[in-house]
Amino acid sequence: MIGDFPQLLINGLLAGTQLAVPAIGFTTVFAVLRFPNFAVASHATIGAYAGYLANTALGLPAGAALLVAFLVAGAFGVASDEIVLRRLRTAGPLTVAIASVALTIVLENAVRFAFGNDPRGYDLAVLRDWRVDLGWLGRVRIGPQQVINAGAAAIAMAVLFGFLGFTRTGKMMRAVADNPILAALKGINAETVARLANFIGMGLAGYGGMLIAMDTAVDPLTGFRVMLSIFAAAVVGGLGSIPGAVLGAFVIGVGEELSVLVFDPTYRTAVGFFAILIVLTLRPRGLLGERAV
Amino acid sequence: MTLRLRRRTALLGGLAAPFVSRLAAAQTGPIRLGTLTPQTGAGGPYGPPMVKTVQSVVAEINAAGGVLGRKIELVSEDDETNPDSAVRAARKLIDVEKVSAIIGTWASAVTTAVAPLCWENKVMLFTVSGADSITKLPHNGYIIRTQPNTYLQSGMAAQFLAKSGAKSVFALSAQTPFAVDSYNRLADVLAAGGAKALGDVIYDPAKTSFRSEIDQALKTKPDALFLNSYTPDLAVILRELYRAGYEGKKFTYGYAANAKLIESVGAEVAEGLISFAPSPDLDSPSYAKIKALLGNEPDPYSCQVYDHISLAALAIAKAGAASGLAIHDSVRAVGNPAGTKVTDAVAGLKLLAAGKDVNFEGASGPCKFTALGDIEGCRFRFDIAEKGKYRLLSLI
Repeated sequence: MIGDFPQLLINGLLAGTQLAVPAIGFTTVFAVLRFPNFAVASHATIGAYAGYLANTALGLPAGAALLVAFLVAGAFGVASDEIVLRRLRTAGPLTVAIASVALTIVLENAVRFAFGNDPRGYDLAVLRDWRVDLGWLGRVRIGPQQVINAGAAAIAMAVLFGFLGFTRTGKMMRAVADNPILAALKGINAETVARLANFIGMGLAGYGGMLIAMDTAVDPLTGFRVMLSIFAAAVVGGLGSIPGAVLGAFVIGVGEELSVLVFDPTYRTAVGFFAILIVLTLRPRGLLGERAV
Repeated sequence: MTLRLRRRTALLGGLAAPFVSRLAAAQTGPIRLGTLTPQTGAGGPYGPPMVKTVQSVVAEINAAGGVLGRKIELVSEDDETNPDSAVRAARKLIDVEKVSAIIGTWASAVTTAVAPLCWENKVMLFTVSGADSITKLPHNGYIIRTQPNTYLQSGMAAQFLAKSGAKSVFALSAQTPFAVDSYNRLADVLAAGGAKALGDVIYDPAKTSFRSEIDQALKTKPDALFLNSYTPDLAVILRELYRAGYEGKKFTYGYAANAKLIESVGAEVAEGLISFAPSPDLDSPSYAKIKALLGNEPDPYSCQVYDHISLAALAIAKAGAASGLAIHDSVRAVGNPAGTKVTDAVAGLKLLAAGKDVNFEGASGPCKFTALGDIEGCRFRFDIAEKGKYRLLSLI
């Protein structure tokens, strides 16, 4: 059993990098708008389909298709916020959160209406795994596609950190996330920042959705399947904290895989719930969160 | 005072009127039947053609004058391949729409969830689910299924695997009500055939990655893998098996291995996948009719619901009443081997109206049921995926 550990750890780390991108998207929206936007699930799906169209219908390579996934999901994010969620913001975060659940169901079914239920695949060769000998630790296999995905996830994260750390707009976003009232006094337009947060957050969800779909298949439930894990990653890391979302994604990714050592794989989903439970009990603000939610 | 009383009486009368007319309609108006099929969720690829098939039979029956001089009114709901949603939809069908039969529940978990609502309300449930446990429920005869149960199917699969030379088989099963039964039967029949079941992993089909599960399976070095999956998770598993360099036999249920699966994963990944399914009666005129309606080779479920709606209509005609109880009492009587063989409802209804006995044999097969509600027997087909297409290996 313990001989499986290195392989499970690698599986978990690779799963974690994929989970991190939509989790960052989720937490970015939370940081600025202070509500959990569950529509991240359908936006991940929309991203996966946008990338699918770009890849198969337009013949774009995977990298360009990922960019399309980001832009389309981001645009959908801004539009759905303008049309649906923004009007409800005055009614409080719980109302908007519930509306976002409804929104995700509507969008998921719109995708289903347009594309049908059948799983689809990208126009990418399925690559055989690399086999690596770790000496006394045994042999492990690593999927090239997953490594590529991990790289793509790392690039997205690096760009985002660069944007938030070094650009004026990025600093504006952080200011609003830190203290909306103070930011308003400084003349930062909260609505512009909200739109930007939605664009980036949902765009990242779409980017992450396509990464997940590249590893598996595109279907209308692509985003919904990972919703709980995304939410768990963001909560564990501390809602609103971007480094927290990354850490949370690794905790959930590795946790779900390592749980196989102890439990039947059927119970893997429970790991996410269990992690939320422990973190909210012992450290309500999450691992890297600044304040309790 | 008197005025107010009168007003109140009038109001009450007005409120009650729709219910009275509804009640009257239950005996003379259209006969209401429901479909509860997966339009969305893992079963989503199957629900739409199923409903289309049922609608076409209803249209035919209505065009020929209906049943007992009454039209059939079809109400279709989506079970979302999800027990929670299915129960809500079944409640609507039973409580609001007052249907006397529900047709087409697909996933075993869904059928298990809605079955008690049906038998408690004396509504006949026609299903295409395969889990053994379903007909073992205390349903008092309110469940009929045209899908061979897990016991029959797994036994067939195991026989085929043992004969094909696989000495050891590992099972990967999505978490379903039939996963355990299926594996146990598989293991028994394999053992009888001189092969061995190495174990099974039951996984959560809602996950996006099954690498760790596959590692567990491949560690046992099986000759063959029995993939008890649905299409979306099978697509992921096949890719991961390919990546892992697995070269042994891959075996799965026909409902998971459809044409879209190959499109999704690509010919190379699907190569060699053997699928098996209860086969409809390919020579039946009803089968040809469904094929013409859907424009391609119909899946087994469309054929089965064709038979469900036909059986329901015939049973109502035979009983002379449209209630669930009437269908319950007469559904076996319209498959009377002594009667005239018919393959569609309209022909059968004519004979019944003339006072003759009918023997309905539909698109899915002979439609003869055991006391528990299981199908007595049917044919099986085995297909193999080769260069992006399925080729018929054998028909048993």
